[in-house]
Amino acid sequence: MNTNLKISNVTKIYPGCIANDNVSLEFNSGKIYALLGENGAGKSTLVKILSGVVIADEGKIYLNENILKLNSPSDAKKNDIGMVFQHFNLFETLSVFENLIIDSDEKRESLREKIDTIMKKYNFSIDLDIPVLNLSAGQKQKVEIIRCLIRSPKVLIMDEPTSVLTEQETSELFLSLKKFSEEGILIIYITHKLKEVMQLCDEVAVMRKGKLVSVSQIKNENLESLANKMVGQDLKTIKKKKENNSSEQLINITNLNFTSEDPFETNLVDINFSVNRGECLGIAGISGNGQSELFQVLSGEIISNKNSIEFNKNYIGDLNPQERREYLMAFSPEDRLEQAAIPQMAIFENVALNNFKSSNFFNNGLINESKIKEHSKKIISDFNVNTDNIDLKSQFLSGGNLQKLIIGRELITSPDLLICFNPTWGLDVGAINYIHETLIKINEQNKSIILISTDTDELLKLSDKISVIHKGKLSKIMNAEEVTSEKLGILMGGGN
Amino acid sequence: MIKIVKRDQPSKAIFFFTPVLAIFLTLVAGGIIFYILGFKPFEALKFFFIVPIADRYGFSELLLKATPLCLIAIGLSFCFKSNNWNIGAEGQLTFGAIVSGGIALLFYDQEGFYILPLVILAGAIGGMIYASIPAILKTYFNTNEILVSLMLVYVSKLILDYLVVGPWSNPEGFNFPETRQFSDSARLPLLIEGLRIHAGIFLALAAVVISWFVFYKTYLGFQMKVSGFSLKTAKYAGYKGKKMIILVFLISGACAGLAGVGEITGPIGQLHREVSPDYGFTAIIVAFLGRLHPVGIIFASLVVAITYLGAETAQIFMQIPKYTGQVFQGMILFFLLASDYLLFFKFKFIDTKK
Repeated sequence: MNTNLKISNVTKIYPGCIANDNVSLEFNSGKIYALLGENGAGKSTLVKILSGVVIADEGKIYLNENILKLNSPSDAKKNDIGMVFQHFNLFETLSVFENLIIDSDEKRESLREKIDTIMKKYNFSIDLDIPVLNLSAGQKQKVEIIRCLIRSPKVLIMDEPTSVLTEQETSELFLSLKKFSEEGILIIYITHKLKEVMQLCDEVAVMRKGKLVSVSQIKNENLESLANKMVGQDLKTIKKKKENNSSEQLINITNLNFTSEDPFETNLVDINFSVNRGECLGIAGISGNGQSELFQVLSGEIISNKNSIEFNKNYIGDLNPQERREYLMAFSPEDRLEQAAIPQMAIFENVALNNFKSSNFFNNGLINESKIKEHSKKIISDFNVNTDNIDLKSQFLSGGNLQKLIIGRELITSPDLLICFNPTWGLDVGAINYIHETLIKINEQNKSIILISTDTDELLKLSDKISVIHKGKLSKIMNAEEVTSEKLGILMGGGN
Repeated sequence: MIKIVKRDQPSKAIFFFTPVLAIFLTLVAGGIIFYILGFKPFEALKFFFIVPIADRYGFSELLLKATPLCLIAIGLSFCFKSNNWNIGAEGQLTFGAIVSGGIALLFYDQEGFYILPLVILAGAIGGMIYASIPAILKTYFNTNEILVSLMLVYVSKLILDYLVVGPWSNPEGFNFPETRQFSDSARLPLLIEGLRIHAGIFLALAAVVISWFVFYKTYLGFQMKVSGFSLKTAKYAGYKGKKMIILVFLISGACAGLAGVGEITGPIGQLHREVSPDYGFTAIIVAFLGRLHPVGIIFASLVVAITYLGAETAQIFMQIPKYTGQVFQGMILFFLLASDYLLFFKFKFIDTKK
């Protein structure tokens, strides 16, 4: 029997951002559909609506012409919609079998038979009686898939399924998905990986900034055209003026590697680059390709080989962030509320987090509150933070004001190098402009910036040189003038 | 109609009001329990909470019980404020008592001004050593500190049992499970003739002042505060988060160990099987009732200490089992946790006519 799933005019608004803006899509069984888009494009919200995790503000969803009421995940299950999330929802210490039967009320024996049939049919080989923690990531994913298959779903949604898989596991997954599709299960495949879309899918829907940009047949597309649609062509040509001929090297990274124990993190492979004084190096990439790890290695949260980072003629790879600050580096992490600042603490206390020696914030181990407050007042007025109460808890600052405070805190030392990660993420236009102007000013003062960002517009506007990070590897460094959005898009998707 | 809505921000007034509310609710519930048991509620509550401290002796007993509670709770507040759930203070107390008792026994037939400082120091070190076990296991081997610290409580009690029955038992003691009496030089002096209140109270007060100073005035305290709110931020600021974790455990262990010293070198003057009536566990309630603030902890330790005394008085005068005291401690914690709901939510009265 044919399955037809229709999304009609779905809108979902979160405070400060429109996650889905009037999205309409139609899917038919027998095909594999790709939902493609950058992080924050709204694809996850859309599938969360389909799986009942999030309730849409407006719009309707039809399955075979019937309106679906999706108020909870169990509604989705009842309506034969199965979902495999990017992060597994398994009980590590329970056995595979226990995990599979946990939300079912059928008899154990009949379920066991059913599971055995499914495994035979799709050539899965997993020992049902060992604890889940002994499985590889690929096997865990199979358990999740079997959990959906037990309910003989009409629709199967896969959210970024290959992010933790090896290549071997990925191709196995693709074979299975094709088999499911032949058997009449409608498959929706969410990803930002262009190659996978080309390899696996029949039709592709591209989302950008909450809107549906295009729906097309894969046979009419190629890597480049998809990249363009995903990244968007509304590029601004405004760039900062550049007359700086300084060739004095400030930071030099050689053969930097990082191997993580956490399968959800990305390993960094053989990173090499250098930045001159007065220069801004932009590092583009789709999020989750090693940006966070690169930031942590550069800031000293992750310690690396001493000689892998040379800053101002000192080898500093083995120093922690505080020690690196003494060499005049400054850092602005991506996560404002959980890392760069502590929302429950007052503004002046947050200023004290950047404790460099000459600040005298702490004398002989004691807190020098008047000094910290004096500094805080200066930051607030110099960087236009919209408050005059430095005793205010920083959770009451808007995102833009908090970011100004953080950037201000980092710049008050007049560092030689500022490393920032998505500095304008989630901010309004006014705050974005202010931050951008500030960053341009830093370069004009012959100080350097490493700007790690997922916002291509921002990178093209601010950078002198650009490199792209993909799966923990950096592309060669290009002059920003020669870079086009197409080229970035291809590199970001893993092309050449 | 009444609707429950989330507060935009936790209210400061409510923050200090809920402990008072919890105590009030405990009294009400206690009264009801007494009524069901067939006592006059007000009279029973009077026996429980007022009679025990109505005279000089009773007041001295109150301070005597409040001292270890306050000391341990101060130590625990360092752990709890930085999200380290050390619930094994009872074990750290016991081990501190064992180590300091061992030192005191070495000098059982000697006098000298240096003995008491040694004994006190030994107690603090004993507590620190014992607290370092869950701390190191947590930071380097990812074990759960709640389980480890709790299980170690029973280990320490069995070690104590073995020592007082076996190798350390008093050779002239007719096989009673206790050690020799310590020499006078190894004992904390009593403050007032005829009362049991001893110099250990100064240790507790010193701990209050020092902990307030460290936590609110020093860089070390600032680092602990930041590490407690967010390890990610601590890492970003360049603080040594793991060392911070071990440090708060050591502080907490030292305080519990000192409480153990007070128990054995005060009025008792020897090691025996029961060095503590679960002060280490009760202090957890004290720490939270005092809102993890040094001054709050002083008041909380006095309130909770009454339940120990009240239970004894009630047993003597009303033939109620002394475990009623634990019932009251449990109720205080229960009502405190329940009324903390008001920190984050408020009741809103809505006109239903609309």
